[in-house]
Amino acid sequence: MEATRKQMMAIALARQVEDGKAYIVGTGLPLVGAALAKNTHAPNASLIFETALFEGNPQEVPTSVSDLRITYGCSVLWPQYRYFGFQSIYSKRDVIAAGFLGGAQIDPYGNLNSTSIGDYNDPVTRFTGSGGANGIANYCNTIIIMKHQKRRFIEKVDYVTSIGWGDGPDGREKVGLDPNKGPRAVVTELGVMKFDEKTKRMYLAEYFPGVTIEEIVENTGFELDTSRAVESEVPSDEVLDVLINKVDPLRMMI
Amino acid sequence: MDNSKVMTAAEAVEKFVHDGDCIAIGGFVTNRRPYVLTREIIRQGQKDLYLEGGPSAGDMDMLIGNGQVSIYIVSYIANSGYSQVCRRFRAAVEKGAKKILFDDYSLDVQTIAYHGAALGLTYVPVKNMLGSDLVNKWGISEEERKKHPKLPPKKFVIQEDPFNPGSDLCLVPTPKIDVALIHAQYACPDGTFRIEGPGFQDLDIAMAAKHTIVSCEELLSVEQMHRNPELNTCVGLCVDAVVEAPRGAHPTQCFGRYDYDGQFLLEYEEASKTEEGFQAFIKKYVTDCPTHMDYLETIGIEHLVSLRIDKGYGWKRGLKRK
Repeated sequence: MEATRKQMMAIALARQVEDGKAYIVGTGLPLVGAALAKNTHAPNASLIFETALFEGNPQEVPTSVSDLRITYGCSVLWPQYRYFGFQSIYSKRDVIAAGFLGGAQIDPYGNLNSTSIGDYNDPVTRFTGSGGANGIANYCNTIIIMKHQKRRFIEKVDYVTSIGWGDGPDGREKVGLDPNKGPRAVVTELGVMKFDEKTKRMYLAEYFPGVTIEEIVENTGFELDTSRAVESEVPSDEVLDVLINKVDPLRMMI
Repeated sequence: MDNSKVMTAAEAVEKFVHDGDCIAIGGFVTNRRPYVLTREIIRQGQKDLYLEGGPSAGDMDMLIGNGQVSIYIVSYIANSGYSQVCRRFRAAVEKGAKKILFDDYSLDVQTIAYHGAALGLTYVPVKNMLGSDLVNKWGISEEERKKHPKLPPKKFVIQEDPFNPGSDLCLVPTPKIDVALIHAQYACPDGTFRIEGPGFQDLDIAMAAKHTIVSCEELLSVEQMHRNPELNTCVGLCVDAVVEAPRGAHPTQCFGRYDYDGQFLLEYEEASKTEEGFQAFIKKYVTDCPTHMDYLETIGIEHLVSLRIDKGYGWKRGLKRK
């Protein structure tokens, strides 16, 4: 069995999830990835949602963070402001390992735009806005999911909805944020990018089986260091089977 | 003396929703949104509304599309899973349209601002927004805000934390909400209501608002509701009107009752792509249905029954959702 690129993306997201830790999850592929992790190597990972619905184990793919499909197996259905407190306190205590984020544009330091293209006050294209993304980016480590296209991986985003490493190594500290939190990985349908410890600039860490480094460079609108890139591990038939037949059998996302 | 706050949706909206009001709506995106009350505002046509967006979706999009909104404070607007971004909002702000004033916050900031408002605080200090364009770019300038006294004079203020020198905070003003619209599973004539399942920010906006209208699946007696205060969400003293409206949150979910209506949400996504499609949709489902019962008849009994959740689950297993 061979994984499609979208399935490989869900698998790469799942690999970011460690057993026993808590993750802030949105809908779409991050949830599929997190559910895959829970059904394979990380059965004790906690999925938490910005709606303050905590630790559910969805049996059908939810379409929104408020979808009652999320409540299956939950420990608490808190009022929403409790999420705010949990996010700000338990990110500091490293109970929250990471939050998953996405966007329309990303820059080399992992700053994300999910607000609009063009002039903010007179946009060419308007998106939903932050949702909970800005808070996740300001308080927590993040794992970012993106479509890998040249027009999305750009030197400067039109609007910074969610800060990454800001403008470099001291980018977070100088605006009043914890410098030890920030984006850890960017997962696309082509591979996985990480951020250099010193410069905080994005580099290519992994390319998926069947993808070339050239293809990734061609689809990236800024200079990407590829010197550390290795091919991702091919997923086992067992993991693929869980993904396709258990996590998303209705093919809502994959 | 009759202290009953029970009235029809038409009476409640006429009495408590006025031109220029600041409106907040309970529920979350596709979950327990009081559509029955929003549809009534569309029928009555109150103008120049200022919407506190929060986790907003198709209902606020309908108010924007119908030309009833002049200010929209946004952090999210989508029928998640069915429309990526609500279409009438896009049409109101993109490419020179400039039909409404808008400004952006983060959804968790709006949540905590509503909680602050419910505690009687005038602002909340947060670490959100710092370093992002949520603070670098203003949708509504200080100058423009002077013309709209219901808006806070500034979007935010960044200030050093007086108790932790060297650490900046973003001070976010709490909104002054005129009317909160809530849908609950139960309410009674004195205004006490009970939400089952996720509470989202409903209690906060109900407490903070000058007036709160509650639509409910079931109207119970005061005696019945006060027999189990441990299950109740909000005291009736915070509530002005109670409207009995079974299936009043359709097309969104209602915990323990019904699932969202994916096919209806897809119909809205398609219709709202054009002004003509949107107007036809509003005619069919809002203006041609003078009452909630007319609306339910238009949706159809068979279809409504098909959305009933499976007992023991919060949703209808295997529901046709696409």
